[in-house]
Amino acid sequence: MSASATPSPPAVEAAPPRAEEPTLRDAHRRPLSPAMLWEVVTHLARRELDSMHHLTLFGWAWPLVRQLAQLGVLVFIFTQVFHTKVEHFGVFVFTALIAWTWFSAGIGNAAQSVSAARHLVFQSRVPSAAIPLVAVVVPLVDVLIALPVLLAMIALSAGLRWELLLCPLLIPVQLLLMAGIAWLVSAAAVFFRDVPNVVYLSLTLLFYMTPTFYSVDVIPSKYRWIYDLNPLSVIIESYRALLLGTPGPSAGLLVYVGLLSVAVAGGGYAFFRRLESRFPDFQ
Amino acid sequence: MSVGASTRTPRLRFDGVWKSYPRWTPGARTLRAVVSRRLPLLVRAQEELWALRDVSFELAAGEAVGLVGRNGAGKSTALRLASGIGRPTRGRALVPENTASVLSLGDLFDFDLSGRENAVTAALAAGLRRREALARLDDILAFAEIEGFEEAPLRTYSDGMRLRLAFGVVAQLEPDLLLLDEVIAVGDLGFQQRCMDRIGELRAGGTAVLFASHSLEQVVDECDRAVWMERGVARAQGPVEEVVALYRTAMNDETRLRTPAPDDDDAPLEGLELGRNRFGSQEAVIRDVTLRGRDDVPTDEIAVGGGLTVALTVDPLAGALDGPLVGVTVTRVADELTCYDTSTDGEGIALGRVGEPLEVRLSFQDLGLLPGEYWVDVGVYAADWEYGYDYHWRAYRFRVTGSGHDNGVFRPAHRWELVR
Repeated sequence: MSASATPSPPAVEAAPPRAEEPTLRDAHRRPLSPAMLWEVVTHLARRELDSMHHLTLFGWAWPLVRQLAQLGVLVFIFTQVFHTKVEHFGVFVFTALIAWTWFSAGIGNAAQSVSAARHLVFQSRVPSAAIPLVAVVVPLVDVLIALPVLLAMIALSAGLRWELLLCPLLIPVQLLLMAGIAWLVSAAAVFFRDVPNVVYLSLTLLFYMTPTFYSVDVIPSKYRWIYDLNPLSVIIESYRALLLGTPGPSAGLLVYVGLLSVAVAGGGYAFFRRLESRFPDFQ
Repeated sequence: MSVGASTRTPRLRFDGVWKSYPRWTPGARTLRAVVSRRLPLLVRAQEELWALRDVSFELAAGEAVGLVGRNGAGKSTALRLASGIGRPTRGRALVPENTASVLSLGDLFDFDLSGRENAVTAALAAGLRRREALARLDDILAFAEIEGFEEAPLRTYSDGMRLRLAFGVVAQLEPDLLLLDEVIAVGDLGFQQRCMDRIGELRAGGTAVLFASHSLEQVVDECDRAVWMERGVARAQGPVEEVVALYRTAMNDETRLRTPAPDDDDAPLEGLELGRNRFGSQEAVIRDVTLRGRDDVPTDEIAVGGGLTVALTVDPLAGALDGPLVGVTVTRVADELTCYDTSTDGEGIALGRVGEPLEVRLSFQDLGLLPGEYWVDVGVYAADWEYGYDYHWRAYRFRVTGSGHDNGVFRPAHRWELVR
């Protein structure tokens, strides 16, 4: 196809037959390049955000309000009711809460993303793999909105540390992990509509099993391995170490989480692509 | 197979394509349903339902091929597989890298967002890159004739505007293969004509077009060849006139087959007798057929140059009809010449869902026929011309009166002038 952007198409008799002979491919193998995936994901994400905040009065403030409300409740309960001994408890929880909210909103939305997007799956040029990615990317925007508030709170309590500049290294790790899980659950949910329920239940349990409102230091050592296996736990402890100077996870755990994220992303992508051509039959 | 295309790569090739849909698709797909329903089905996997069975055909560059056949014959399944929506159970569906399909492009639209924004989404979904989409946005909006409304949310658009927007996107593509659903049968005639002109340009440039339509007239007008699908099998393929004629014959046979035997107790009603001058399944009937002349008065005689109205009532009897078609034919008694034949389908008149008796009128301001005796045949048919519900043949007769010594069939309005 010549990509000429001439506004008026040539007249019938003047149109020369396009010279190159096209090569044929199997129709169900949808073409997919990283650039195309990126464009579709950013466009659909922007579209979803536009649509989401379009008619609300508070617009972009809503995600922040939600997180601050949850933070307020947690701080009240743990400082006033349970008398936690954690220093700077507000920022301690908020750091974890931002990472956790991104994870749970992203995976929760991803679970039904493909099975609810018949209109996208039925477009032959839309790479289906973009659909769960959009679910993961959209709540990342909430993180970016909450971040300045968190930094201000840290500056006022624990004080800013130069290590926080390393945080952008952790975000891709979490993004890869989430993308992999999102591809896995969204593809499985097309075939088994129970999957989203399993996902929501798992997220509820995982919230308590992830050190959001406590630190892994308080976990008895015989249960510690559970937390070390939980990549989200390691990631959250790392965010805290960088932002607040708490003792962080060992280098071994960091390598484990890095490799695990890449493996989950690769495995999830392969799983998704393998099943992709069967999606339309089940929608 | 098309002649002269053998040297070039086909633009589409179906190679012994079979397609069956999983039978446990409808209804809830929960783990419980899978255990209780899927396992027994795996055991009985032999009795699969095939939506397509061993379908093979090719499209050469620049060729337009229409898929014809009744609902559920496999037309949409074939289009879907060509679009890459699902994969063949057996066989291969091969298409060029650069394939554009216009199946439900409008489903993508977000009604809260602007026409401009929705156009970009549809363009990305149609295979344009974002940069190209933005560069051609103005052309898309111009083709769709929605200038002035670009920034308005889509929910303020009419159905016609939305569909024009979708086709405006398609008009900007230069694919090697274009797959088209029913969508062109929308919008005003001028817009349809521009769509068809654009498709003509693309074909001149080598684009092959595969087209599924309920309108046989449209297929005959726009396509070189046709594939007649029946129960998942490509029953015939070849030059469009021949295939459509075969399909029409089969439809007539089907109508005859479905005509119930006349009941001896029933006296012929209004001179109609099943199997003699009345055919069709009788699930729905035509009644109260009248020919009306000037002043809307029932008559069997009009003057040459006069108007005629054919009025009839489609009575769905028991069940509502979904998109029935009405056809009217005027035949000259003397030599059985078909003087005029038309249908709601051919002229894009949609009856929609008919649950109550519906009066249909066809009016000729000036019938334009020469003096003589004529028959009016009327019929109501199932959607897609699948078969006839009721067809009255040689049952209504009228006369055109007048003196005159001109000959032929028609008497177009005319006058003589002598210019010296």
